[in-house]
Amino acid sequence: MFSVPNLLADEASGLFFPESASTFSQQSDTVFYAITIVCVLFFIPITIALFGFASKYKKAKGEQAESQVDHNTKLELIWSVGPSFLLIAMFYFGARGFMEQRTIPEGAYEIGVKATRWNWSFNYGGTTQNSELHVVKDEPTKLVMTADTVIHSLFIPAFRVKKDVVPGRFNYMWFRATKASEKLSDEELAARKQVYKDASESWSYEKEGYTEDGYAFYDLYCTEYCGKDHSMMQTVVVVHETREELEAWVEEKGKRQPGVDPVTYGRKLYESRGCKSCHSLEPGVKLAGPSYAGSFGTSRELTDGSSVTMDYGYIKESIEDPKAKIVKGYAGVNMPSYKGMLSTDDIYCLAQFIKSLNPNAAKQEAEEADSGAAVAETGTEADVTSASE
Amino acid sequence: MSAGKISSGSEIDDPGYPTPEENYLTNSKGLLSWIFTLDHKRIGVMYLVGVSVAFLVAGLLAIGIRLHLMSPDGWFLETGAVKAITGDKPTNDVYNQVFTLHGAIMVFLFIIPSVPAALGNFLVPIMLGAKDVAFPRLNLSSFYLWMFGAFFFISALLASGLDTGWTFYTPYSTTSNTSVILATSGAFILGFSSIFTGLNFIVTINTMRPPGMTWFRMPLFLWATYATSIIQVLATPVLGITLLLLIAERTMHIGIFDPQYNGDPVTFQHFFWFYSHPAVYIMILPAFGVISELISVHSHKRIFGYRFVAYSSIAIALLGFLVWGHHMFTSGMSPVTTIIFSALTFSVSVPSAIKVFNWLATMYKGSISLTTPMVYAIVFIFLFTIGGLTGLHLGTLATDQHLHDSYFVVAHFHFVMVGGTLVAFLGGVFHWWPKMFGKMYSEKGGIASAALVFIGFLVTFLPQFILGSRGMPRRYATYDPEFQTLHVASSIGSLILGLGLFVALFVLLKSLFSKERAPANMWGGATLEWACTSPPPFYNFQRAPAVDDPYDFTDIVWDSVSERYVRVEPERKLAPEEQPAHAGE
Ligand code: HEC
Ligand SMILES: [Cu+2]
Ligand SMILES: [Cu+2]
Repeated sequence: MFSVPNLLADEASGLFFPESASTFSQQSDTVFYAITIVCVLFFIPITIALFGFASKYKKAKGEQAESQVDHNTKLELIWSVGPSFLLIAMFYFGARGFMEQRTIPEGAYEIGVKATRWNWSFNYGGTTQNSELHVVKDEPTKLVMTADTVIHSLFIPAFRVKKDVVPGRFNYMWFRATKASEKLSDEELAARKQVYKDASESWSYEKEGYTEDGYAFYDLYCTEYCGKDHSMMQTVVVVHETREELEAWVEEKGKRQPGVDPVTYGRKLYESRGCKSCHSLEPGVKLAGPSYAGSFGTSRELTDGSSVTMDYGYIKESIEDPKAKIVKGYAGVNMPSYKGMLSTDDIYCLAQFIKSLNPNAAKQEAEEADSGAAVAETGTEADVTSASE
Repeated sequence: MSAGKISSGSEIDDPGYPTPEENYLTNSKGLLSWIFTLDHKRIGVMYLVGVSVAFLVAGLLAIGIRLHLMSPDGWFLETGAVKAITGDKPTNDVYNQVFTLHGAIMVFLFIIPSVPAALGNFLVPIMLGAKDVAFPRLNLSSFYLWMFGAFFFISALLASGLDTGWTFYTPYSTTSNTSVILATSGAFILGFSSIFTGLNFIVTINTMRPPGMTWFRMPLFLWATYATSIIQVLATPVLGITLLLLIAERTMHIGIFDPQYNGDPVTFQHFFWFYSHPAVYIMILPAFGVISELISVHSHKRIFGYRFVAYSSIAIALLGFLVWGHHMFTSGMSPVTTIIFSALTFSVSVPSAIKVFNWLATMYKGSISLTTPMVYAIVFIFLFTIGGLTGLHLGTLATDQHLHDSYFVVAHFHFVMVGGTLVAFLGGVFHWWPKMFGKMYSEKGGIASAALVFIGFLVTFLPQFILGSRGMPRRYATYDPEFQTLHVASSIGSLILGLGLFVALFVLLKSLFSKERAPANMWGGATLEWACTSPPPFYNFQRAPAVDDPYDFTDIVWDSVSERYVRVEPERKLAPEEQPAHAGE
């Protein structure tokens, strides 16, 4: 879609609309065309009368008008009341379509939407958050949307749906996509990706017309003015042929992508999975939980008087079963268990991230690396990654 | 009644009757005589100058917007010339400020005061045969409040600009680091200016109608002004309260609009549109009034369905208070509320449609003169009809979900506000210009301006409907390349439109230097303003004019010898003591 600069080149969609790709779009377009026809049927006689009278009754200065009739109650009642029936019909079909948009079917595939300035983040449950919206064909999708600071609005022209995304409340929206996105063959995709790799540029959705995973897409815009980059707050919608395909994609995206280092990914998880709200990164700054700064490798005192070293095992336990060992001074504050919500690799990355916050631990590691302990370390990573698959 | 006719008409329309030596423009001189004037006509003229300057500024900003959108990544505001002014501010920020100021200045400083304050001030007392409005001092203070409000807007611009859109939506406006407080204070003050004008007109029309002018013998322009004034007085205070709350939220975090402090941003939208939808009618009703006068006078025919037209103004004013929610169909309001607002919105479209039919019926079998004002009136009907009809797509819930906040909305309201109000305002200015300044402009030039405005307007805004339905969101500094063709067309149109407006300005200003005087009754109108000289004397009427049917054109005839319209009195000869003093000359 990005790649079609010529308006009329996109024949399938007609002059007025982008491609129609949801059940609502067919319905909404029908209502639109019906209203337009009514409008044209009114507009033509009005224009004919307007220009017709202006030329037919154009008179020389001073000529008296042919008639001075000043009212005709019957006629006036007809043109006041008559169109009302058409208006009632418009209202009815509009309201009916709208009610359908507001009645969310049971069992719709639910996706969380978080709008920030100026990014979209879609939460697919489990471990997957992504900036692209992926849905299944012919199945209802429900979006549960909120924003952090200002109002945004989520608009998918191809689906003819729009809903404001308001901070401090949840707004809902649903649709049923009807056309799956076509997919590039693996070879084609690889070839295209290679070009970007060679030029060391990042993938251009606009130029390619496909996502980095090789899917064609529909545009998704922000339509509530939200500041500087409002016009760049765009992303894409991909429609998968089957639920399995979508789930495979979701699972794939839930994992660390090849080439992303554990510390970076760990920081991302720390920010996106809510750890941030309870654990600070500055030394001595206590939120609901202890600060991560300089903690890795140190000894922690627990409520029961014993102590434990902060290492990979302890971190994993703290995340999956926080109640097992409670740090002194934090009795009564509950950290939620993330069991099943973070993969072993995620936990490994978080641990690496926490470790990176202790310069001493990093130094220690460097020394160990010198003494050949690095082998063991890589071993752990390999174990962890395979375990999570 | 016929005795009245004589004293009203003949004394001035009689060819050769000397016009008073002094008129309101010349009866006192010097800047101070204008600054402290209480004369409604001078205040009207000062408003006319003021709103025209505001329009010029906001219009140039609009051209800036259109030029910027020639290219998908933005062009004009990136160019060196603009960068020299805006410095290293990011281009998108500059764009956002430009469209915000365009909207805010157009709405608050131009469209709202345009017809009521500029033309209304000049015409309301004269149409009533009165000397002035009920409260001349309040009237002058309304103008100074307007200046003061404009001053606040300019300071906001010079301080750190404004980037909230003219709608000031929270929590954007409570957190934006531009001069929101300065600008909202400006809008608050302008609100008072608007209330003062409205109050003044209500009292004037209620208490100062001359004997014989019953409600249903008032010119329709007065009906429209009256309906507008009611809205101004009832709705504007809500805007004032809303803006004060917004300032309080920004400075004291009282927790009403910003979720950060447990407020609800959607509440602001309700408050804001509770004013701003009725404000749409503050902007369009006076235009209806102007068009009713123009169509009738230049067709030399009685307005068709006077009562329907008059009642429909009042109906629009009242129903207009009940439809604000149609600006919030995608905000997540409850479905029931949404559906009720949609139904009410449809109901308000009926009275507007009635007016269009009545104007057409007025032209039917008339004696139409295709003068500049009439051409503008015809342009108005054409454009306003499109504006009104496309409102149906937006009032219909299912389609609005797609069209809301897209260029379709932009096109729709420009058809109503520019194709409607601005064109009616221009038509009105061309219609009453000879009355206001006693000079006639070149008709050729006037009609050329109307033609350019018409073509330029269509080329600018028709493509925007298609842009919108194809999914182009509004308030975008950059856009997808697929939209470029239509954007470029629209930008070219805006230049033609701009040219047309400059031609209009030129034609009018040039007329001021012409030697020839315009006659008292330039077009053959029957309302009272055509019974005083052009320009009117300070006291408007030398003798209180008696009231006649404002749409009875049968006894106003064209006298080809003196080349002007005169009122004839077929039934009765003048009694000797009624003979004008100069009769024997
Ligand atoms: C609701 C607040 C909260 C959230 C959210 C939270 N934690 Fe905690 N966390 C705590 C508290 C309180 C403690 C101390 C009590 C305990 O040991 O259970 C703690 C302890 C820990 C510890 C042991 C720290 C130490 O210094 O001994 C680790 C490791 C940890 N959390 C990791 C995480 C990770 C990773 C996340 C995000 C995936 C997370 N926490 C999210 C509140 C939270
Ligand atoms: Cu936005
Ligand atoms: Cu409205």
